[in-house]
Amino acid sequence: MMRNPLGKRLKRELLNSLGKYLTLFLLMTLSIGFVSGFLVADNSMILAYADSFEKYNIEDGHFTVQKKLNKAQIRRIEQEGISVFENFYSDIPFDNGTRIRVFQVRDQVNLICLMEGEMPVSEDEIAIDRMYADNNHLKPGDRLSGAGKEWTVSGLIALSDYSCLFENNNDTMFDSIQFGAAAVSPSAFEKLPADNMKHCYAWKYDEPYEDDVQQKKMADDLLKRLSPLVRLEDYVPRYQNQAIMFTGDDMGSDKAMMETLLYIIILILAFVFAVTINDTISRESAVIGTLRASGYTKAELIRHYMTMPLLVTLCSAAAGNLAGYTFMKEVCAGMYYGSYSLPTYVTIFNSEAFLKTTFIPVIIMLGVTYFSLRRKLRFSPLAFLRHDISGKKKGKAVKLPHALPFLSRFRMRIILQNAGSYLVLAAGITFANVLLLFGLALPSLLECYQELVTENMIAKYQYLLQIPVSALDEDQKLNSMIHMMMYAANAETDNPNAEKFSAYSLKTVETEGFRREDILFYGISENSRYIPLSPQDGEVYISSAYAEKYSLQAGDVISLEEAYEDRRYDLEVTGVYDYQSAVCVFMNRKTLNRMFDLGENIYSGYFSDTEITDIPEEYIGSVIDFSSLTKLSRQLDVSMGSLMNMVDVFSVIMFVVLIYILSRIIIEKNAQSISMTKILGYTDREVTRIYMRATTVVTILSLTLSIPAVWYVLRIIFRIMLAEMMSGWIPLIVKKDVFVKMLALGFASYGAVALLEYRKITSIPMDQALKNTE
Amino acid sequence: MFLELKGITKSYGTGENRVEVLKGIDLGVEQGEFCVLLGPSGSGKSTLLNIIGGIDEADSGEIAIKGEPMSSMNDKALTLYRRNHLGYIFQMYNLIPDLTVRENIEVGAFLSKAPLDIDELLETLGLKDHQDKLPSQLSGGQQQRTSIGRAIIKNPDILLCDEPTGALDSVTSREILRLIETVNLKYGNTVIMVTHNNEIRNMADTVVRLRDGMIRDIIKNERRTPAAELEL
Repeated sequence: MMRNPLGKRLKRELLNSLGKYLTLFLLMTLSIGFVSGFLVADNSMILAYADSFEKYNIEDGHFTVQKKLNKAQIRRIEQEGISVFENFYSDIPFDNGTRIRVFQVRDQVNLICLMEGEMPVSEDEIAIDRMYADNNHLKPGDRLSGAGKEWTVSGLIALSDYSCLFENNNDTMFDSIQFGAAAVSPSAFEKLPADNMKHCYAWKYDEPYEDDVQQKKMADDLLKRLSPLVRLEDYVPRYQNQAIMFTGDDMGSDKAMMETLLYIIILILAFVFAVTINDTISRESAVIGTLRASGYTKAELIRHYMTMPLLVTLCSAAAGNLAGYTFMKEVCAGMYYGSYSLPTYVTIFNSEAFLKTTFIPVIIMLGVTYFSLRRKLRFSPLAFLRHDISGKKKGKAVKLPHALPFLSRFRMRIILQNAGSYLVLAAGITFANVLLLFGLALPSLLECYQELVTENMIAKYQYLLQIPVSALDEDQKLNSMIHMMMYAANAETDNPNAEKFSAYSLKTVETEGFRREDILFYGISENSRYIPLSPQDGEVYISSAYAEKYSLQAGDVISLEEAYEDRRYDLEVTGVYDYQSAVCVFMNRKTLNRMFDLGENIYSGYFSDTEITDIPEEYIGSVIDFSSLTKLSRQLDVSMGSLMNMVDVFSVIMFVVLIYILSRIIIEKNAQSISMTKILGYTDREVTRIYMRATTVVTILSLTLSIPAVWYVLRIIFRIMLAEMMSGWIPLIVKKDVFVKMLALGFASYGAVALLEYRKITSIPMDQALKNTE
Repeated sequence: MFLELKGITKSYGTGENRVEVLKGIDLGVEQGEFCVLLGPSGSGKSTLLNIIGGIDEADSGEIAIKGEPMSSMNDKALTLYRRNHLGYIFQMYNLIPDLTVRENIEVGAFLSKAPLDIDELLETLGLKDHQDKLPSQLSGGQQQRTSIGRAIIKNPDILLCDEPTGALDSVTSREILRLIETVNLKYGNTVIMVTHNNEIRNMADTVVRLRDGMIRDIIKNERRTPAAELEL
């Protein structure tokens, strides 16, 4: 059987339009490569992460108690169906301004993955978390001072129970810059200051659970049985432990977004191909008529014209996957390593990734080009021979007012003639704009948030007091009473700026699309100078960040529950208080103390614009200041900054490619007319003004007019992303200069293309109009 | 009768704009016959050719090839009919610009189960030395010869030629007509040629003169004048 000779055109067509196909190929390869690399890295990482639970024997949960448990207590606790392991730690401030949680090298649970260097052996050696090291520019051999001595970094490690560096499980975001984890040798650990030591015990169930529901039930049951046995300071089952679980949740969640992104890009490129094909068919109308008249079937011609887009897609998929499995995978894995302290991973061939980055793009390309070709080739052979394939009734030109200047009408005719191309161009520009704005807006969002926090802080310092452990020791009641009295006396400050408030924390109930989070309730003093709100008894105000995040307003009911008790609160919102820095609730002190049975005069902390220096450090649980409020934005900046730059570059490439290809199609389509206008005596500049101005108008209009729609779409994307990704809230405000930058980049991309197209227009020879084009 | 047309009518447009292009054509063509459809512009000759070629549809009437009626054919069957029986030559050559001469001819060969030998045909067409050139490198005559090659390589039963010399000078026209004549004699295909050139009628077996959508007369030439002797 003879091969279809039409196939021989492909090579020549490719060489003739190399620029066009190469740019499409590159854009598609880049997109497929990135997504393939992402899926491969994501999948390999997820598997490495999932395997790490068994490989590194990660705890089923941990609890913290005030004092080290004795053997009898441990035996008693272990009768509850768990094995308990010491996992003590001490949070030590180091001389580089950061805090490191120091553990002893573990050998039973929560094992450590050594990624570089050696595990600590001698008493002055310390192995630090790999990501903390990266962010603080530390490497094996470097020296650090903390806990009264000098340490040498022996190696870089990943602690299996700290894949995400959450200092406290309640934190809105992890902090891999100012907080790290580390391990030292047992003898070095013993010599750490005892007063800072946290008595944390990890547990493993004797009988493993089968699913999430059972896991939760077992954790709830265990809590009920442990509570009478020991006084718990902290109880965190594994599924609630953000340091362990956040990584896994986050890794899966980006996948759908990346895939959707790829499919939209392929869809746009498929439409670019469709426009190209339509143009080719119009140009080759008579040839197609002849072929059809000679007996070529529609199917044969559809196959022929579909070959090139499919070939380009297949080549891009092959090249993209190759790139995906090699350097793109490294880039994407690097993004994860930039956010998480993951153990080393092994690249695993991912048939799903291959399918999604090859099969589905080919199907999309196939579908779009097939239907477009079927539509275009629906005409009879005779219609093709007569070049009568526009589908419009002959002689019915759109009426344009004669009052319009001639050149404007001319340009409008070109826009009307190329409506399809311009539609794809407008859609492509809008989509590229979404990407570009995403890349530009996130850093601006974070910057605005930081500024907002600065302007909007309730007080420069918020001190949250903690009652010392010794005051709560029920075994030694007298002793604890004395400690309690000392606390009551010493927790008072003489600082005239300080203002008391009471506080309480509840958790949000499970809500679809939102991460569960802790909501801090402020009980504010009467006539507060820090929160000029003066709530009446029983009134509940929510912060504006709370209202924005959950789309709430006065009159709505918020549902919250106790973290470790089965008690739920449904509170009606009285109003919204303008406070963007945190998701929190305000009421008066009396109401709060009564609602949570705290005792009438109880207070939990101070607002103060100046530092309080006269309260012993042990009574201060935490300080909310600028640094702690901006932890969220700082971490997002580090985690996503590089990705955003990549998104920016990609969107600009997309701009250039789309504008280049589509304006080229329009020029090629009109080559004959351009040549003719030159013969008539139009100068190159005039011809360019006619044929490029139309594209310029559409480009500028698309760039400008799409901004509100793009910003609207992006706000929805950000809202979903931020709500799912973290607790707390970043208001969706960006600076105006983001839009200016976005337009500037769009215009600059267009300017570069316009120059290329100007050259193309000037190179069209005058005799082209005189040639037989078929 | 190899090709038989009965009562063919065709009109375009509606209402006031309605134009009757063919007003009841009855015609029969024998196998191997060289038939010329002659008439001035607007006489309906090209429309008739297109209806025979199955790329246009008659409003009424019957057309049958080898006794098989075309009216019973759907779109797919018509394509198959063209594929198996017809070769087309147009006034404009409609060659594929990025295929060489040889490849353009192969485009026709692809449609046939038993195509003619391409090298022999290139020789006959006088294109042997040009076979690797692209259409843009050829003269009008050479391009038309290529399009003839494309039409006849599949050795069609009927060769339909729509003003094949309309865009050519007299010397080249004669050359092209000679070629069509050679093909007709050598391969025995039926040739139906539309022309408004009165001189060309002399090379046909049958001359069908059309005027205003009707057959004015059908003349059988007793002797076909060789194309080389035509005074174009």
